[in-house]
Amino acid sequence: MTKTRPFLKSILFTLLFILIGLPFIPLILSSVSFGWQWPNILPESFSFRAWEYVLLGSSGTWQAVSVSLLIAFIVTAVNILLAVPAANALVRYPLRGKWLLEAMLFAPIVIPPFVAVMGIHLTFLRLGLTETVFGVVLAHLSPTLPYMVRAVMISYNTLSIDWEDQARMLGAGSLSRFRHVVLPHLLPGIAAGASLSILISLSQYLITFIIGSGQVVTLPILLFPFISGGDPAIASAYSLLFAGIAILTLIGMDAALKKYYQNKKAGAENG
Amino acid sequence: MKKFSLLAPGFLVLTLAACSEETGDGAAAEADSLQTSDWEEVSGAATGQEVNMYMWGGNDNINRYLDEWVAPRLKEEHDVELNRVPMNDSQDIINQLVDEKSAGKTKGSMDIIWINGENFKAAKDNELLWGDFSGQLPNFNDYVDAEAPEIATDFGEPVDGLEAPWGKAQFVFVHDENKSEDPPKSMAELAEWVQDNPGQFTYPALPDFTGSAFIRHVLYETTGGYEQYQQPAADIEDLEARLEPMWQYLNRIEPYLWREGETYPESLAKQDQLFASGEIGMTMSYDPALAASEVLKGRFPESTRTFVLVGGTLANTHFLSIPFNSSAKAGAMVAINKMMSPEAQTAKLSPENWGDLSALDLEKLSPEQQQAMNDVDLGAATLPLEELEQHRLPELSADYIEIIEKGWMENVAKD
Repeated sequence: MTKTRPFLKSILFTLLFILIGLPFIPLILSSVSFGWQWPNILPESFSFRAWEYVLLGSSGTWQAVSVSLLIAFIVTAVNILLAVPAANALVRYPLRGKWLLEAMLFAPIVIPPFVAVMGIHLTFLRLGLTETVFGVVLAHLSPTLPYMVRAVMISYNTLSIDWEDQARMLGAGSLSRFRHVVLPHLLPGIAAGASLSILISLSQYLITFIIGSGQVVTLPILLFPFISGGDPAIASAYSLLFAGIAILTLIGMDAALKKYYQNKKAGAENG
Repeated sequence: MKKFSLLAPGFLVLTLAACSEETGDGAAAEADSLQTSDWEEVSGAATGQEVNMYMWGGNDNINRYLDEWVAPRLKEEHDVELNRVPMNDSQDIINQLVDEKSAGKTKGSMDIIWINGENFKAAKDNELLWGDFSGQLPNFNDYVDAEAPEIATDFGEPVDGLEAPWGKAQFVFVHDENKSEDPPKSMAELAEWVQDNPGQFTYPALPDFTGSAFIRHVLYETTGGYEQYQQPAADIEDLEARLEPMWQYLNRIEPYLWREGETYPESLAKQDQLFASGEIGMTMSYDPALAASEVLKGRFPESTRTFVLVGGTLANTHFLSIPFNSSAKAGAMVAINKMMSPEAQTAKLSPENWGDLSALDLEKLSPEQQQAMNDVDLGAATLPLEELEQHRLPELSADYIEIIEKGWMENVAKD
């Protein structure tokens, strides 16, 4: 039994790798292909034209990447600030009509963002919020917040109020109760919500495009015309770059979280 | 505590919103005098301005031409900063301007927009364009034949100086010389070619721009020429009966198309991909040098060639315009003037940069300028300029295009 485990594990690992990694191979090939005629399985020759355009030159890719990341992180930070008190209230207080509040919070997942954003655009125009990073951040909150609230709510569901009462009896103030009792328990939920929030914010095209009105240029704004305009090489290169940045961001977050727990553990052992 | 928890998100949004900037609205009456003042004043006012050019951003050659050829020269010669804003569809430009107009936004960030045809008509009808400015541009006055129908009208709509011509396009068919040596020269020959080469031909499903243009050629050739359609569609009483031969033609070739005509490529981009991978033997383009530029990129095979029909192919002009609420109108005028200069138009003609036909009248150029333009290597896949010139047909106005696109759905796509 114990002998078959590593074998099984490696098969599973390979399968998973094929499932996730395989779709990237045609993307990589197409981003460097120079002449790729049916029925050849591989391109006849290679060229780095697409990568050169995307990474060097005047395409503004790096600026767009930093704008994308900036927006994603601000959106996520605001989401955390909004979602923790909201989840707290939704889980812990017996409210009448709670279902209605929940439905409103989760509506952006069900209703296509296009519908909402068309209306928001006119209002934002009057408020002078279009063409600003700030306006785009606000608009990104609607499709991302529901996931964050959902994730934090799940964490709150498993946090008994007794724990906080116990801390209170031991003399902890409200801030210190939140920091030492509530937050560590919520952290996995917050991390899950934050990953989703970052990914969703990074991949927004339409909302960014309409609210940013061309003045807030994120990676999808550069990428979309190439997908629909039919330059597969450049579209592939951009897609790979996009995937790479999303994966790196997630790995970075994961590493930070792990480090936090390690420090926590070390702190607990020492103290 | 309970109340606070619920209100906290609301407070946050409010405080954040309060921090945002307010739009000033006093700047409405800016510089309409630019339409009458002399060029010295205009270029003086343009100095130091930043100009945002909103245009379709899906071609790296075009993007590069603007970022690396036009922008540095504008900066150096006129101290005007050109900032290209990529759009996915020119229709989005119009939608955005409509919203800005109804919200009363007077200081917009679009300074130059790249439009033609339906988008121009929509912009003109909704009064989204600034005004009659093209007559102010020295390069327009010196090098453009303002009376020529393709300059004075845009898909049948009078231009009225609201936009300045940037380049010309002409419809060409694209084929692989190694696979079909003798391309068809008329719609009748094309039908034979399609039957002899089943699965090798198709066209993008309407309302794709190029697919729709292909069908207009079928219309011209099967119903007896373009002259009869120079009047408004509503004036032709038996229009439906007149269009009948076109639907018959399209239905006759349908079984021999790619996938037996059960489906059509949803866009020209998809069709080009089929041609690039060798799955079909012919594609089409409203840009006569696009094939040459795709060969340079290695997407289309070296043996790619283009051809026009003996009866001619459709040609149109694309334009640059200035929106009503542009914040840098003088800068926009200087930039448009620069893009219409013989040097800029010659650079634009080269397939390495873009391969777009010049909007200027060749006869108005100096002998050296003409020479420079004729010396541009258009690539083996592009037809000589004279051959294109001799086979130009005028476009149909937008009302016909709508009728044809609807009719295609009912008569061809549905069966």
